[in-house]
Amino acid sequence: MAVSEVDLKVGHGQAYAHHGELLQGMFADEQGYLHYGLVTLPCMLFHTEVTFTVTPNSEIIVEPATHSKAFQAAKLTLHYCNRSGHGGHLKLNSNIPLKMGFGSSTSDVCATIRAVAQACSFHLLPEEIAQIAVQAEQASDSIMFDTQQTVLFAQREGIVLEEFHKPLPVLEIIGFNTDATGQGIDTLTFTPIHYSHQEIEAFRVLLAGLRKAIALHDPYLLGRVTTASAYINQRYLPKPHFDRLLQLASKTGALGLQVAHSGTIVGFLFDPEIAELEERVQMILTHLFEMGFHISHRFRTEKRTSPRKNTA
Amino acid sequence: MRKIYPTTIEAIEAPTLIRITDNFYVVAFRLMKLLPAHFILDRAQQAGLLDIGSIIIETSSGTFGLALAMICALRGYRLILVSDPVIDTSLKRRLEELGAHVEIVSGVEAYTGIQQVRLDRIKSLQEEHPGYFWPSQYDNPHNPEAYTPVAELLVEALGHVDCLIGTVGSGGSLCGTSNYLRMLFPQLTVAGVDTHGSVLFGLPDQPRLLRGLGNSLMPKNVAHMAFDEIHWVNAAEAFLATRILHRTHALYMGGTSGAAFLVSRWWAQQHPNATVVALLPDEGYRYQDTIYNDDWLRQHNALLTQLPEQPCLVSHPHEVNENWSYMLWKRRTYEQVLHYPFLGGQSRGQ
Ligand SMILES: Cc1ncc(COP(=O)(O)O)c(C=O)c1O
Repeated sequence: MAVSEVDLKVGHGQAYAHHGELLQGMFADEQGYLHYGLVTLPCMLFHTEVTFTVTPNSEIIVEPATHSKAFQAAKLTLHYCNRSGHGGHLKLNSNIPLKMGFGSSTSDVCATIRAVAQACSFHLLPEEIAQIAVQAEQASDSIMFDTQQTVLFAQREGIVLEEFHKPLPVLEIIGFNTDATGQGIDTLTFTPIHYSHQEIEAFRVLLAGLRKAIALHDPYLLGRVTTASAYINQRYLPKPHFDRLLQLASKTGALGLQVAHSGTIVGFLFDPEIAELEERVQMILTHLFEMGFHISHRFRTEKRTSPRKNTA
Repeated sequence: MRKIYPTTIEAIEAPTLIRITDNFYVVAFRLMKLLPAHFILDRAQQAGLLDIGSIIIETSSGTFGLALAMICALRGYRLILVSDPVIDTSLKRRLEELGAHVEIVSGVEAYTGIQQVRLDRIKSLQEEHPGYFWPSQYDNPHNPEAYTPVAELLVEALGHVDCLIGTVGSGGSLCGTSNYLRMLFPQLTVAGVDTHGSVLFGLPDQPRLLRGLGNSLMPKNVAHMAFDEIHWVNAAEAFLATRILHRTHALYMGGTSGAAFLVSRWWAQQHPNATVVALLPDEGYRYQDTIYNDDWLRQHNALLTQLPEQPCLVSHPHEVNENWSYMLWKRRTYEQVLHYPFLGGQSRGQ
């Protein structure tokens, strides 16, 4: 397709962070083939905003230059939108903390893909964004899907293994970073886990629990699922003080624990309707402070918010 | 979408969940043992241990043998089953129709210890057929691991389970299912149903009329620490409960299903706010001439007219009398329970 000067446009894109996963493991599809998969917990506390201006020369300039995966995403999106010969100016603005499991990289990549597509007058489906995202960064979370749309996502293939057709029950999350040094984890250097066949069997039951928790809008069952997933993950990327955190969760009437399976953040899940929520949260914060964790964050899974849509 | 099953095995192994009362459900199987047989053979195949024409040797005169024979017929494996003489002729014919070679160990007058004789025969068959595969349902960890579909079904259909009740033979079904359920419901109460004359939970080995549950040897797959409660149901009680399950709920099941039904119905009545689920392992057709035949029951002195209303609570296996009894096992090991100082005075065990 020939591109005229008139096509040169500016596009905007935005994407939220996530707070690790509700469930992560290995799951069989209908044919019985196994896939790595996860269910993301979206977190609207943080987000990335991107502006992209198409230029006729082939150079892509990323600002700030540290967002290397965004460069790759922009290049792939231009190609996908039939603008292979073009480049542009990519400007990112993100408040997402790095390397803790907030998904800053996927958020950069998604916002970039949206901005570039908009600049090219393309409207991409979440499934298309997912495909480009995994090409750009090898493994992505499912933040490209509407926060109302919970999916089991194959993070290395960029495909949806299962849709749950309903939003998550509303949850109040008290999260913190278990890695006080802030060094974090680089998702790319984290090699795929070799789950035992017992664990792969167990994931089937946890997935059934997640389906039912979403269908019934049952936050208690959801908390059991996330805790069990976190527990299995202790074999691969252990969170420090896990037993103590579990005890604290049960003592404060939390629904359970939830972790970033390839990061260092942990969340206490609460039913926002629970009596004396503030007292319970305070108790958690006091204990965390005693354990040396002075910084925490708090958010809710929203009933209805989603990133600004690209309407090209 | 309507499901098309790829083979008979998938079609028959999937159990049905049925509500009996508001808080009491049963998982009714046509042939429960298809699950472990299927899972064990799949894993062996994946590990490269099985191919068309491979020889499988197992000791079974019951449902596990039938399940193996069905899969072997579909996949072209050769099956040798070592069985004791109590095998019923129609089952033997069915196994042979499916291509299995059924070997009856004979020359054993006393019933006690026949399982050991079967195991000895297996050893010599194994020497004859190097390269054989032995599914070993009693000790193979893939037996309990095969029960994820049951846990999935219960989690997805009910969302919560408070108590799971089932019979114990190899231990696979109850220990496997409860192990998976406890990932989500750690408080789940597990009640195992055994019978008099079975060594599984500390009674002396004796001939047993009620087949399928209980054991003369201790399988590795019985994880004693999984059990909160153990019930011992005698044959006559189990048979009448089987008949009542049929009369009142039109569920035509085998004798171990009756034993599980007796215990779980009582448990659900005692705990009206708890969600109670029982596993019913097989259908009644195999037992038409026995459990469903009053003459046979009379001949075997197992014709009851009334079920006991409740079990007798005991504090140690040695206190178990000849009728339906139960004790709080409290997730202890076999040794912890059996070596627990026994203080009762009126028991026949002392
Ligand atoms: C009819 C029947 N019911 C119950 C059982 C006991 O099940 P499990 O071996 O899983 O303990 C068996 C085992 O062979 C059986 O054949």
